[in-house]
Amino acid sequence: MPAVSVKGVSKKYRIFPNGGARLKEALSFGRKKYGHDFWALQDINLELEPGTNLGVLGRNGAGKSTLLNIIAGIRPPTSGTVEVNGRLVALSGLGAGFNSEFTGRENIMLNGLILGIERKELLERFDDITAFADIGEFIDQPIKTYSSGMRSRLGFAVAFNVQPDVLILDETLAAGDTVSKEAALQKMYELRDSGTTILLVSHGMSTIEDFCTEAILLHEGRMLAAGGTTEVIERYQDLVSRFKKDKNRRRTDGRQPPDVVVSEEEVPEVPTFKEDPDFERRVARLRSGTGEARIQGVELLNERLRPVKAVTSGSTVTIRVYLEYLETVKDSEVIITLRDKAEQGQTESQTGSQFFGPNLGYVLELYEGYREKPESVDEQTREFFETWSPPRLETNGHAPAVAGKLFSTSTALEGIPLEEMQKGERVVVDFTFKVPLRQGRYSISAGARAGSEDSYLDRVDVAITFRIKRPRDRKPFQGIVHLPTEIKVHTSEGERQGRSV
Amino acid sequence: MSTKASSAKPGFLGAILGSLATLYDKRWLIKYMAQQQWANSYQGSHLGLAWAFLSPLMMVALLTFVFSEVIGIRFREVTGDSALNFGLYLYCGLLPFLAYSKALTQGVNVIRRNSSLVQGVVFPLEILPMTTVISSLIENLFGVGALMFLLVVLEGRLHLTVLLLPLIIVPQLLFTLGLSYLMAVAGTYVPDVRETLKAVVRATFFITPILWPTGKVPEDWRFLVDYNPLAFLVESYRSLILEGELPGAEAAIYFSLFAVALFVVGLVVFNRLKHTFADLL
Repeated sequence: MPAVSVKGVSKKYRIFPNGGARLKEALSFGRKKYGHDFWALQDINLELEPGTNLGVLGRNGAGKSTLLNIIAGIRPPTSGTVEVNGRLVALSGLGAGFNSEFTGRENIMLNGLILGIERKELLERFDDITAFADIGEFIDQPIKTYSSGMRSRLGFAVAFNVQPDVLILDETLAAGDTVSKEAALQKMYELRDSGTTILLVSHGMSTIEDFCTEAILLHEGRMLAAGGTTEVIERYQDLVSRFKKDKNRRRTDGRQPPDVVVSEEEVPEVPTFKEDPDFERRVARLRSGTGEARIQGVELLNERLRPVKAVTSGSTVTIRVYLEYLETVKDSEVIITLRDKAEQGQTESQTGSQFFGPNLGYVLELYEGYREKPESVDEQTREFFETWSPPRLETNGHAPAVAGKLFSTSTALEGIPLEEMQKGERVVVDFTFKVPLRQGRYSISAGARAGSEDSYLDRVDVAITFRIKRPRDRKPFQGIVHLPTEIKVHTSEGERQGRSV
Repeated sequence: MSTKASSAKPGFLGAILGSLATLYDKRWLIKYMAQQQWANSYQGSHLGLAWAFLSPLMMVALLTFVFSEVIGIRFREVTGDSALNFGLYLYCGLLPFLAYSKALTQGVNVIRRNSSLVQGVVFPLEILPMTTVISSLIENLFGVGALMFLLVVLEGRLHLTVLLLPLIIVPQLLFTLGLSYLMAVAGTYVPDVRETLKAVVRATFFITPILWPTGKVPEDWRFLVDYNPLAFLVESYRSLILEGELPGAEAAIYFSLFAVALFVVGLVVFNRLKHTFADLL
């Protein structure tokens, strides 16, 4: 029996230009129309098995809250049915009915009863609740004396300590200080692990990705995507970046953009050269080179050539480099380098990225050079490297890996020569390749080098960082890279074959 | 446990029984909320709940002083009961009226005032009008207490008929509840009802024998007393508390039947429409 089953749910609101119009329409008993229909949700189907953790994604006004309200039973659907099995607690009602003049004790009872918990059960769990709320002797003080953190802890305490079967969370984690947020998060994980079905609306992608097993994407009342969190988040980020682009266009040329329709509209084949002032500012410290050319921007594009911050392991990515020549250069190449980065939660030595920050990649490259040819670096650096060892990263029980260069290529290496470039000429270079890499954070460095020389015209270390995510329904693999593998099993009965994607 | 939100509607009787079961189920919530609402006005003052008794006492003392000593109206002198003055007479009639007017003016607003509950949680909304009615009834009871206290002080005795008051108060509760449910629906659907209602309440004050005695009504206007449920309440309060007489049994039965019917209609209408409230706010 599914915990939540939503079948063909639609929700229509009738929009009136003013209150009088609503009254006039009501009084005409259907003979005259003064308002128009607005479909907040259209034909939503959803079935959640017990223990599913569903992230609900969508831009503002996409219908997220309406859907959760309908599931919670707060609003009726215009058509379709919703079935919920078990006790449902919706945390949009966090602290509902709290009265500042009453004590914490009284408010716990009131809020609990409002959430539909039996008085007997509340009394039984009272100690758990007060322990979680952690407000000590304040429990018998009116809650007008509480800090906002204490208030929100009290609200959480009631909702979390009654063992809901279905929990609906709507952006409620925004309140409270770090400590109470931590406690709330921990409790959320506990509930999740004990098999509670959780529906979570959050704009924090990482929360959804960490916490949820499945996700859906709503857009203008329709369900645009459903499935694994990674894929759905990618779709969502696509959607958001398209809207941003649209907004920028509107800002620059002042013309009204066409109505945005969600379809698989393709990005133009020939990319336009972009200058990104944010990029300029961000990489100012990471830039080196003679200055004869200048990297104006680096982007990570997904398979549909949309700028993203995260991609799925095994998918095809495109690194797009925008390069402007400030002097005439006879013969040059564009180079990119892919590095993995220390991920949070992995141990790093003090000499690691904590110390060098975003320059670690550059330092590691210097170190590689030093290992090959010690005299290639200056004396001071050499002294430093003699006692220094690169940070070793522990990766959750897998073999430790050295953060460093994973892959590097250039236009010259791939056999695409860049001929003489005039001063002021601008080029866009796309590097497209597959990333069958372990999940984690990675960075891209980009540079331009004159063909005959060793020195860079311009290079930007850690031009962008991005994340590689594990595809849904695949276990994490061991090691850094997952090479495409073909498998043949020869048995007495014949052969079975399989191939990795 | 399974909850289902669909358009299936139970029968009339089933709907009533279902709502009554919910009300019983949620009795603790009703208690806490009514208590909260009632105690809210006294919270923070030094005398606290003593005000629940003190403020009606001050009111009745004021009325007694103004009407008996300053203006000098003494209704009851006709029956030779000189101590029973117009102030007490007026206050006794005011009691059921105040409970009625408070339940109505608050009831019409109750859904909008609690929009966070309506839109934020799954909440048995039929509790909301109930809590306002109950809290106004508690105030009413304190008023009755203050009145009886003054009667003892001024007259030195109480009529035994006050023991029969619950027989009037129970149908009174159902009557105000029914009105409250209907007003809550009306006020949520058409906000303008709130303003209209103030005028209606004021009008009922004057067409109900609170300021004037029933005996002085011209025959053409008798229906104002005969078909006015509030007039019945006012008269019964006065008979039981001030005069030590029983109100007419026939009128009492009609009123009780009317109150039950109003309550049932109000509850059913409210329950049919309560799902739509969240969208209207």
